[in-house]
Amino acid sequence: MNIRVKAFATFRDVMDKEIDLTIAENTTISDLLDDLMIQYPGFEDMAFERPGVPKKFVDILHNGRNIQFIKGIDTPLSEGDLITLFPPVGGGWRVTQQDSQVRRL
Amino acid sequence: MDGYAGNMAFIDLTDGKVTIQETPTDLKKNYLGGRGFGARIVTDRIDPKIDALSPENVIVFSTGPLTGTGIPLGSRYEVTTKSPLNDALVSANSGGFFGWKMKRAGFDAVVISGRSAKPVYIFLNEGTVELRDATPYWGMKTSEVTAALKSDLGDKDIRVTCIGPAGEKKSLIACIINEEHRAAGRGGTGAVLGSKNLKAIVATGKLPIKIADKDKLNAVKERVRNKIEDNGICQGLHKYGTAILVNIINGNYILPTRNFQRGYFPEAEKVSGETMAETILTKPKGCYACIVQCGRVTKVDGEEGEGPEYEPVWGFSADCGVSDLSAVARANYRCNDLGLDAIGAATSIACAMEMTEKGYLKDGIKFGDAENMVKLVEDIGYRRSFGAELADGSFRFAEKYGHPELSMSVKKQELPAYDPRGLQGYGLAAATSVRGGDHVYGYMISPEVLGAPEKLDPYTSEGKDLWVKAFQDLTSSIDATGICLFTSFALDTDDYADLIAATTGMKMNATDLLLIGERIWNLQKLFNMKVGYTKADDTLPDRLLKEPLQDGAPKGRVWERQPLLDNYYAARGWDNEGRPTPEKLKELGLTS
Repeated sequence: MNIRVKAFATFRDVMDKEIDLTIAENTTISDLLDDLMIQYPGFEDMAFERPGVPKKFVDILHNGRNIQFIKGIDTPLSEGDLITLFPPVGGGWRVTQQDSQVRRL
Repeated sequence: MDGYAGNMAFIDLTDGKVTIQETPTDLKKNYLGGRGFGARIVTDRIDPKIDALSPENVIVFSTGPLTGTGIPLGSRYEVTTKSPLNDALVSANSGGFFGWKMKRAGFDAVVISGRSAKPVYIFLNEGTVELRDATPYWGMKTSEVTAALKSDLGDKDIRVTCIGPAGEKKSLIACIINEEHRAAGRGGTGAVLGSKNLKAIVATGKLPIKIADKDKLNAVKERVRNKIEDNGICQGLHKYGTAILVNIINGNYILPTRNFQRGYFPEAEKVSGETMAETILTKPKGCYACIVQCGRVTKVDGEEGEGPEYEPVWGFSADCGVSDLSAVARANYRCNDLGLDAIGAATSIACAMEMTEKGYLKDGIKFGDAENMVKLVEDIGYRRSFGAELADGSFRFAEKYGHPELSMSVKKQELPAYDPRGLQGYGLAAATSVRGGDHVYGYMISPEVLGAPEKLDPYTSEGKDLWVKAFQDLTSSIDATGICLFTSFALDTDDYADLIAATTGMKMNATDLLLIGERIWNLQKLFNMKVGYTKADDTLPDRLLKEPLQDGAPKGRVWERQPLLDNYYAARGWDNEGRPTPEKLKELGLTS
């Protein structure tokens, strides 16, 4: 089946910005990331904290949905899927430690 | 108390009387500066029912204790007044170098009332205030008046904040511009200056700002600088500018397109931050003491300017169906030069485009018509031809033609560049913002998209009431300190409290800081209630509640007002109608 991968911002320093791939049935995002690491040597350092664990602020979107809110890297891929990759753009604002109401969350 | 210039100037333009007073200690303790000073002073001095363009209105320029003290990103000043666009108590924030210079000129706040019989400008210089004739400058664009004043005064180091033709014509989407490209953008503050015949404020001087504990401040500055330099968002802002968001927001299918008819713009790549960096970018640029430097110096078709920032990029591209980056940049340059709020101008044009598409408007403007879009910006700025119809924003325009539902505004102020149907918390923040449609009064994009301080599911409502309250209160306090809101990607509340304590000598912790923010928010809310705003106004355009998104993961979603809104009122300690309770007002020290 065919899927498309789009990379943004500094990911473009280490990989193509748009990649069309033909992949096997029953492939997951984890499998896709493995393929990308092989194809683009700089990708692993930019995307992963350690093997199998994406950096905290790397955003991987499955058809526009952050995989964190579906099945993570075990999310299965389907024909025509779009995977978008954004590099770490996260921060360390820790209002949660200070504001009692937010701390309840 | 240290960290302040020490004085406030009160200027009555009707009789030319100037009074200089020491900045009261209570005001510093309870409202810090910036937005806090502005909200308190305007509330104390005007009846909320007055006409915002009458001489009775008061407009306040104010800095905070962190403005101009060498703290990273400590450049900001606020402009606070009754908004002529929507009658709310608006406070608009700008960076650049004016705030720094205003403080070194000796003033924490400049409070302006009345109306001058002829055009004037205010000259602030080391504790003195002069009203000077601005007749030669009336009619000039912002870049022209800035250059002319520097030349005529023979001083390149003066800093100028001013209005352009849009403010003179009292366009209700006119803004105030300093350093030619930095805007106190929202709420129509430029029209208030225009109504007062006040063209500009010039600041100069080198008065020192005393620091309470220099050693402690240096240590906190070092900590803060390291956090900002290490922060991924701040690094991204430096490399790509705020337009880095174009692809991120579009990738989430929440980039409002064609007047919010869709949430995905297929041609976003052509106008993205990445494309800007490869094409029109000349160099990054920062405000006073900035180490992020998110500003963009750009060159297009022989014209050089600054920006476009993310919001104007979105407004003049996706929202208007235009993918020509050159046209987008030129439209933005025009807004800066004419003194127009770029969000208000772009979204008003997008509204006209949909009215045209639907056949409600003959001889209007079509989606995607890049060159006529740029021309229309000029006509809006000069309030001429078809532009005159849009010069007071999309709500009045759409209402005039019988379709107010096509104005994508909240409390008559246009929404910016995020679709609330895929962002439940952001939708709540926009619906309840005390200045109307807005993103910087509670930037829920940070947790719902960027993942700071933690990643929240953008599609769910649970707990968002508390998050929105916390973001709104923290933003209010940051706007009172005089530091840039972008620091909030990297800093925590302890950092801000430590910066204030070391600068001023005031006892300050994170709880104190958030309480000040909550006090400011409630003060603006109370003003708006006296204007006549009710629970019914705490909502979004019907389209966002009834017409589902059509693309990508958020397909089928709308913004769900309840139970978000009622939960939010409860989180704020307000009653079911969204009114602060007597107990809450007592807690905040707002009982009269």
